[in-house]
Amino acid sequence: MIRIERRIDANPWWTAGTLVAALAAGMLASALIVATAGADPFEAFRTLFFGAFGSQKAVMTTLIKSTPLILTGLATVIAFRAQIWSIGQEGQVFAGAMAGYLGSQILAGLPPLLFFPGVILFGVAGGLLLGGACAILKTRFGVNEIVSTVMTNYLAIYLLSYLLAGGPWAEIGDGASYQQSVPLPAAEQLPLLFGTKLHIGVLLPFVAAICCAVMLDRTALGYEIKALGTNPVALGHKGTNIARTIIAVMCISGGLAALAGVIELYGVGHRLKADNLVGLGYAGIIVGMIGGLRPLGTVLAGLLFGGLASGAVSMRVVSDIPASLVPAMQGIILLFVLCASVMARYKIVRGTAS
Amino acid sequence: MSGLFQEAILISIFAATLRTMTPLLFSAMGELVTQRAGIWNMGVEGTMLMGSFIAYFVATSTGSLWLAVLAAILAGAVMGLIIAFMTATMRVDHFVTGLGLNLFAGGITLYWFQSYVRGGPQPSFAGFEDVPLPFLSDIPFIGPVLFSQRLLTYAALFIVPAIWFLLYRTRYGLELRCLGENPKALDVKGLSVPVRQYGAVMFGSAMTGLGGGFLMLAFSDRFIADFSAGRGWIVVVALIAGNWKPKGVLMAVVAFALLEAIATHAQVVGVGVPRQLLLALPYLASIILLMGVRFRTGQPAMLGFPYSRE
Repeated sequence: MIRIERRIDANPWWTAGTLVAALAAGMLASALIVATAGADPFEAFRTLFFGAFGSQKAVMTTLIKSTPLILTGLATVIAFRAQIWSIGQEGQVFAGAMAGYLGSQILAGLPPLLFFPGVILFGVAGGLLLGGACAILKTRFGVNEIVSTVMTNYLAIYLLSYLLAGGPWAEIGDGASYQQSVPLPAAEQLPLLFGTKLHIGVLLPFVAAICCAVMLDRTALGYEIKALGTNPVALGHKGTNIARTIIAVMCISGGLAALAGVIELYGVGHRLKADNLVGLGYAGIIVGMIGGLRPLGTVLAGLLFGGLASGAVSMRVVSDIPASLVPAMQGIILLFVLCASVMARYKIVRGTAS
Repeated sequence: MSGLFQEAILISIFAATLRTMTPLLFSAMGELVTQRAGIWNMGVEGTMLMGSFIAYFVATSTGSLWLAVLAAILAGAVMGLIIAFMTATMRVDHFVTGLGLNLFAGGITLYWFQSYVRGGPQPSFAGFEDVPLPFLSDIPFIGPVLFSQRLLTYAALFIVPAIWFLLYRTRYGLELRCLGENPKALDVKGLSVPVRQYGAVMFGSAMTGLGGGFLMLAFSDRFIADFSAGRGWIVVVALIAGNWKPKGVLMAVVAFALLEAIATHAQVVGVGVPRQLLLALPYLASIILLMGVRFRTGQPAMLGFPYSRE
């Protein structure tokens, strides 16, 4: 006889197994979706994966595309591990890019060694403030963080739209109808790594992931974040100031998401434009969850989805399948992964009940 | 500025308020049922978006608006089935389920839309027209505001008392409210908790699908990405601000609709405020409104907690 029983201990192999099964099921369901729109799933996946990992150029594009996803994924990890359901990453990416662009106007002319750290700090501060504001809305006014972060997402998006369409940062002239800023001068673009097409910012997600892993596993704050997620009552009895922990979590999470926005501005887009930023935050939620809310897993998931984003371009060109297949796939895979995360807490037992 | 002009503007604002609140009201009354049953559905936005897209697809491919309304309702119910499966059967966290569903809906509607259009000219349709009621619409001021609306707007006004009656005057409503307060009591009596939760979520989501469908068929003639633009989230805010009571939720919805109507008219009249900042008003108002809501007496005790016998 086979029964299903709740696990007391977590088995990492079983957890990984359910996750891989969920990824496979998600791919299969995505293939069905491709078929519903009248396209050939095999052709779609072939061009998708070839465009993601099939050549040196493809791998570089994948690295560049995964950079912001890993960062917003890490932002998700920090918040969700504390069971704070912040989905403000999208708005924080926008805030990071806007604050980073503001930095370029104040710090213009500084030597690169001061300029780049300076504008990055500006950007990070933008997201940190936005995240912190939502944290205070939660701790001080009891406003649910999901709702407040959604609303601030819309506020950030509309603010950028205002700044770029007829507002103070709009490009005047031929580009005026595109809702974008003037391009950054070459001296203000992130330098490239040893003659490749990779900007220096692609290293940041890996550094950030290591920092997050160390912070979660080796520091008092990391312990408090995890305790906030698992047993906030006990944490309160221990004497920890829970409101302060929530604010710290949202600030760190907001700063990480904003880093994605500012790197995208200085490393890839080279001008402020909503099209370059849209969706990075929401995709980061999926990346963080598929990464099992662990920094290392998030790096792997980010590379996978960065690959899909890079492959989507060649898929559109070669097979004429819309690039928006990728966000659709991300959503489908997420639903399967959520179910798998529940399955991972159960085990299949043979034999009679003890 | 003449008095006649001012009156015309006022009539236009109030009429627009009723029109704007129609999709919100359908969805909010549906989600009220869902939340009173203990399911904290955060997937309203995605469900509404799905309803809008399916309505667009059916309206442009068959030419029948009422078929499109029916399809939007069905699409909402299917989304509800997914939510119910994940929350009532799999017992995934309600918040995370909703987030997942929103991202899923955002991605898949865009993919289907782009596959449907394929770079060609985008098909459009002629939406619902006003249906002035005979005699009543001739009453000065009140006539053009109240009695010269779309048919579904009249229907939406009847939904509030209907939901109130369902929740507070029927046996099913009693069981439903019990689901949100004390599901164990139903379980002990031998009444199935999951079956009722499936029913409540699918009903609520079908209503949200209807709201999304109306949004498409009465306000626009074509689909764009993120068409619902946060209206599902406004519904979530309205439930909290309305303290999970039909009348309170109605008042919150009216407030949002009035704000949006004023914002759109301010553009027309030419107030010296940038368009984007006016459009951002409802979102800002949501935050301020929730900051002011200090009482949560109406919140179902088990809202958001997956029920399990263990």
